Amino acid sequence: MKKIISLLFLFIIGCSENQDEMIVNIYSQRHYDVDQLQYDNFEKETGIKVNVLKANADELLQRMKNEGENSPADLFITVDVGKLWQAADMGLLQKYEDNSLTDGIKESFLDKNGYWVPVTYRSRVIVYSNERVQENDLSTYEDLANNKWKGRILVRSSSNSYNQALLSSLVANLGEEDTRSWANAVVSNFARDPKGNDRDQVKAIAAGQGDIAIVNSYYIGLLLSSENEEEINAGKAISVFFPNQAEGDRGSHINVSGIALAKNSPNKSNALKLIKYLTSDEAQKTYVNNTFEYSVKPNIEPNQIVKDWGTFKKDPLDLNMLGKERKSAIRIFDAAGWK
Amino acid sequence: MNVKSLTLLISLVLICPLIYLVYSVLGLNFENFTYLWNSLLVGYSFNTLYLVFLTSIFSLIFGITPAWFISTSNFRGKSFFDVVLFLPLAIPSYIIAFTYSDLLSYTGPLQSFLRNYYPDIYPFFNQDYLQIEILSILMALVLYPYIYTACRISFSLIGSNYIKVARNLGMSQTKTFFKIIIPISRVSIFSGLFLVIMEVLNEYGAVKYFGVNTFTSGIFRSWYSMEDVDTASILAVCLLIIVSVFFILERYSNSKYNYNYKPNDDVSANYTLNKSSKVLTYFICIIPFILGFFLPIIYILKNTIDTFGSIDLNELSILSFNSFFLAFISSFIIVIIAILFQFFKKISRSKTIFFFSEIVSLTYALPGAVIALSLILIISAFSNFSGVSIVFGSLSVLIYAYVMRYMAVGISPLKSSFEKHPESFDQTGRNLGMTNYKIFSKIHLPINKTSILIAFILCFVDIIKELPITLILRPFNFDTLAVKTYEYAIEEMIAKSSIYSLIIILFGSILLIFLRKIINKSINVS
Repeated sequence: MKKIISLLFLFIIGCSENQDEMIVNIYSQRHYDVDQLQYDNFEKETGIKVNVLKANADELLQRMKNEGENSPADLFITVDVGKLWQAADMGLLQKYEDNSLTDGIKESFLDKNGYWVPVTYRSRVIVYSNERVQENDLSTYEDLANNKWKGRILVRSSSNSYNQALLSSLVANLGEEDTRSWANAVVSNFARDPKGNDRDQVKAIAAGQGDIAIVNSYYIGLLLSSENEEEINAGKAISVFFPNQAEGDRGSHINVSGIALAKNSPNKSNALKLIKYLTSDEAQKTYVNNTFEYSVKPNIEPNQIVKDWGTFKKDPLDLNMLGKERKSAIRIFDAAGWK
Repeated sequence: MNVKSLTLLISLVLICPLIYLVYSVLGLNFENFTYLWNSLLVGYSFNTLYLVFLTSIFSLIFGITPAWFISTSNFRGKSFFDVVLFLPLAIPSYIIAFTYSDLLSYTGPLQSFLRNYYPDIYPFFNQDYLQIEILSILMALVLYPYIYTACRISFSLIGSNYIKVARNLGMSQTKTFFKIIIPISRVSIFSGLFLVIMEVLNEYGAVKYFGVNTFTSGIFRSWYSMEDVDTASILAVCLLIIVSVFFILERYSNSKYNYNYKPNDDVSANYTLNKSSKVLTYFICIIPFILGFFLPIIYILKNTIDTFGSIDLNELSILSFNSFFLAFISSFIIVIIAILFQFFKKISRSKTIFFFSEIVSLTYALPGAVIALSLILIISAFSNFSGVSIVFGSLSVLIYAYVMRYMAVGISPLKSSFEKHPESFDQTGRNLGMTNYKIFSKIHLPINKTSILIAFILCFVDIIKELPITLILRPFNFDTLAVKTYEYAIEEMIAKSSIYSLIIILFGSILLIFLRKIINKSINVS
């Protein structure tokens, strides 16, 4: 009986792989075409093969946690810095301990605890209808609570991690109480129940279902470069507004897509090489030219469409707060009835 | 090893996520649950029940009415409809949700066309289509074939005798339908509906996109965002309880109304249609087909042609092979296990075997992601305990998870088929000195051949559409058609995802057409 059980399990489990190979294993939340391009370039340059498993950040985190010491993951890549903080908090990461990895990266983007390395960043901005809203009607995220926006605000669901990160930044900046009343007021200003994704919010403005929306900057770039003429028109019907830019104000909320070394990384030196490669000028240029994200290196210029929106002041908040305040943010969403 | 311990062993291997779940609920922390209870649970429950209710209603309408007309009336195009009404089952619910929201969106073809050419009527169509009611219709459009199939078999088996008697007694077609056919067929209708309800309860992608919070979204919100495994487990157990209730109801109704009606001995159609009922019949048959299959396929085809230049044929063939291979192997294993269980149940007549062969179906109630993640945990614990090094994300783990998840789909048709055949077959065999193996290979295998094929096809079609388990458990650099479709779809690149969804639907459709042939042969109608 015992023999049969162990045989059965062996069949189910499969056998162990050789570990001293020229490989690096990534658990990645990013699944853009540009990422594969980067990995191919890296492999060409170093001969190290990049193995990728793409899924949602939460699922990858749970998988790493459940795998424990047996995890094959070397690197964890996300599009939300909150999840990197969470991974570190769950004890799934190790410090990279090589400061040359972050050479040339803007200081304020870096992890003070040394767990993750930022790769690109994006801002969560306000877009507004060119027809029905004047640019000077807009000012700050806080102002979205104003009565004048009643029935005009569009945004996606609170289960989306970009929204969770934005609210976490408000909790960190304004405190829980003020954020709570802000969320309540914003919910009462909604044009409709939260649904769809960021591009759907822009389309809803074009359709006249609302006047302003909270979206990630690069989605506008994607709309404007679409092959569907109607999508380009929808993108042209709106403009991008960076909130909280006034003298003395903190700046717009940003979020970082970053990479971190897994605690039980079996191919650590290869992993560090890949981090180094992804933050190199060459790879950074590949990112900005293929997506509409910003480079974390000040010397790399963004894509022309993105450049046209102008430069903006960024919220200097410690990015780890976007993960640390996550739970309070979700409680506030729930209490406010932000679906 | 005897039959009983083998059944026990296989069952335990299959239900370990359930055991893990119950185990994790034992040491609960109810603090967070109170929070959830106060703020969200009422809303989650309401949404879940409302969505289940609406989807059930629409599935029943889309499923029962065409089955009735096709089984009892003669009209041109009948056999065409009988084929195509199966086909929507080949379309995964997330694909139909994404396709329709793109079709109907502000920048989609319908609104763009009206805006440019008929600005007067355009405002009527400029709506927010992401509504729970629309979602329920879309899900019903791809799930109703479960009910259609069940009804089609049942209506044909009931046959003309009942209908003739009803007619001689002066009952109209409508009255016969409601007073005789529906009551006699309720068991099979319910078993189809049960599968529909399961699918709705598990649905995650489409539900999230439409902004509808159900139990399943609650599980993931607690588990992922709040890192609160306790609450997630409680919710999963709630879900399990709801499903068990349906499950027991289904089994109960099955046993209570398990009477044998006189099988069909006259296959001629019973009703001739006058002009107005002919129009109605066509309308009823054509709507589920057009909306559930034709329109989405045309749109997906158009997108495929538009993006044809960027299709990587090499990649496409690898993905197709991966999907096909996984679905084939897993369905094969499921069917083997399901046959063994039914056979063991029959020859041993043991209560334990009966219990376990029933309970393995319950894993169908758990969301795929829950199965996948608890499986990793269990294997990990086993590995630490035994010292065997494990490669996660090996294909065998993935197949193992599929087998767990879709056991119910394979068991269901086999169970009814095995139960139909009388004890006397086995007894005769035994009297003739046959061994159990001989009874199995000479009697049970041949007489249940049709249902074995049906079970295999249903599993295959389900697994080729599967998403959450594949996403979490697949090996490095390994994708399936479903995964690729999803990756493009969530980035709102519907056009780019279309070729992958097209292949999924194609695979499914071919098998479903084949399935229809088998079913119609077995119920002896054309």
